[in-house]
Amino acid sequence: MLKFMRNKIVGIEVKDSNTLLAHGFLDDDIYSIEMDVLIDINHLEIRDIDGRWNRWTTTECKRGIPFLKEAVGLRIKGDFSQTVRRIIGRKACRHFANLLLECCYTAKEASKTLKEKLEEKHDLCTATYGDNNDKNTDSTAFADESDHFSGGFHDKDPSFSMIIDLHTHSFPASPCSSVSVDQLVQEARRIGIDAICLTDHNYVWDSSAVEDLRQKYGFLILRGNEITTDQGDMLVFGMEKDIKGIIGLPDLRKEVLASDSIIIAAHPFRGFLTVGIQQIGLTLERAVKRPVFRYVDAIETLNGSVTENENRFTDMVAEKLGLPKTGGSDAHDVSRVGVYATGFVDRIEDERDLVYAIKEGRSFPVVFRRYAETKASA
Amino acid sequence: MYNIMEFSRNRSTCVEQTDNNTLRSYCRLNDTVMDALVEITVSVPDLEIVSVQGNVFRPYKDEFTESFEFLKRVIGTRIGPGILKIVKGLTEGIRHKQFAFMLEECCHAVILSFTKEDLLSHPRPDNEEESIRYHRQMVLDNIRLYNRCAAFAPGSRIVEGINPKTGEI
Repeated sequence: MLKFMRNKIVGIEVKDSNTLLAHGFLDDDIYSIEMDVLIDINHLEIRDIDGRWNRWTTTECKRGIPFLKEAVGLRIKGDFSQTVRRIIGRKACRHFANLLLECCYTAKEASKTLKEKLEEKHDLCTATYGDNNDKNTDSTAFADESDHFSGGFHDKDPSFSMIIDLHTHSFPASPCSSVSVDQLVQEARRIGIDAICLTDHNYVWDSSAVEDLRQKYGFLILRGNEITTDQGDMLVFGMEKDIKGIIGLPDLRKEVLASDSIIIAAHPFRGFLTVGIQQIGLTLERAVKRPVFRYVDAIETLNGSVTENENRFTDMVAEKLGLPKTGGSDAHDVSRVGVYATGFVDRIEDERDLVYAIKEGRSFPVVFRRYAETKASA
Repeated sequence: MYNIMEFSRNRSTCVEQTDNNTLRSYCRLNDTVMDALVEITVSVPDLEIVSVQGNVFRPYKDEFTESFEFLKRVIGTRIGPGILKIVKGLTEGIRHKQFAFMLEECCHAVILSFTKEDLLSHPRPDNEEESIRYHRQMVLDNIRLYNRCAAFAPGSRIVEGINPKTGEI
């Protein structure tokens, strides 16, 4: 018996010499939606759009219908799929975004066959779909700051010399972030954290630019990188090489070893929006055997973009494997800076100190922001 | 003169549990120019992609084989948040991007199959207020859902009163 089925049908009708009408229908075990999209053939531009729900999980789903109009004017080229996912997927509904992409790329294919018919050419092997420029990481997420989780601490332990937010994202280096570096630093100073690490997605900060920022704010800013591998996202510190695209984790490990730097598995057990990894049935015994942990030096056990349960599970895995643990906010907006951080026993002056301290186990993940705000209001 | 459809596309994506530890997810595309299939098998509960296969029934051309080999680069990756980025990155340069999209659809269907399971495991709300309460609890349990779509955006009854910064009411 099938566990799940989704069917989509798209029909393309020629309304006139300049216009196609794409009628799309998506019907799966959970949802059923329909959509009509009017597309200009010559510019492949969306002229009008309408949609309706046939079957939904909550009546609030219908609130998304008016936002479909935000697709009007978009052209089916370049970063079209990324734009649709960002605008329609977030403001309306990801399933409508999926159907819209299906309608538009089918229309694009239809326009090609129309042109080929006109030119009497038949090349059936040039089907194109999508683009490879989607940098949408979907990582603008929140976590509650509950300090019930004993994997962190609540008080500024006097044995820590410094507390550093090891995981932050700034715009425009990370397109998914809504906060500038200046805002990150200002907020970090305001809440009393000692330093931040800039860990933008597949981005190497220029050392002189960061030094200028340090001088400007009189605040320690360290450079890192969040690199996407075939085994998930990794925080890397101490490596200058700029890695673009997806790299195999074993290959990244070779680069890290060659440069005497460090890899930290970032949020390795982040679950789906509606289903956590434990609901899928992942046990601790199974999780610790994942090959990813053979290639990392530490695990991020406190991450501000996952749930408390996910952080708790990650901590258990790190504990079982005996790997060092770190904490970081994964901040994509200013209110998340310092939610979690890492406490260091020794003074950290630069990335080399950071790498050494983590490898030697002289650092610990901490719950920071709630402590700071509670203290400030006391 | 006639309202004859110029182009038509059917896409069916299915997930089947073939044994206790394996899911099979396949996407079948059948449209005016092409009839193709992409299939993955996924280990449970790791959701690791253990195999990828593809086939084109219409039109048949040798060059498709190369693209299907390209898809095998995702073997060993796990279906999780961010999988679309990983699939796009690993299949960059594939000649026939349609097949990469079909692979994404297979991954997406696996995720939705678990969503369905989760929905079925909870009592079906009998009325509107129950439904709102049920979805509100989903947001409180995972604040990442806040503002992820219109149903969970400010203005929706589901998230009324929820502080997105603290995840509390």
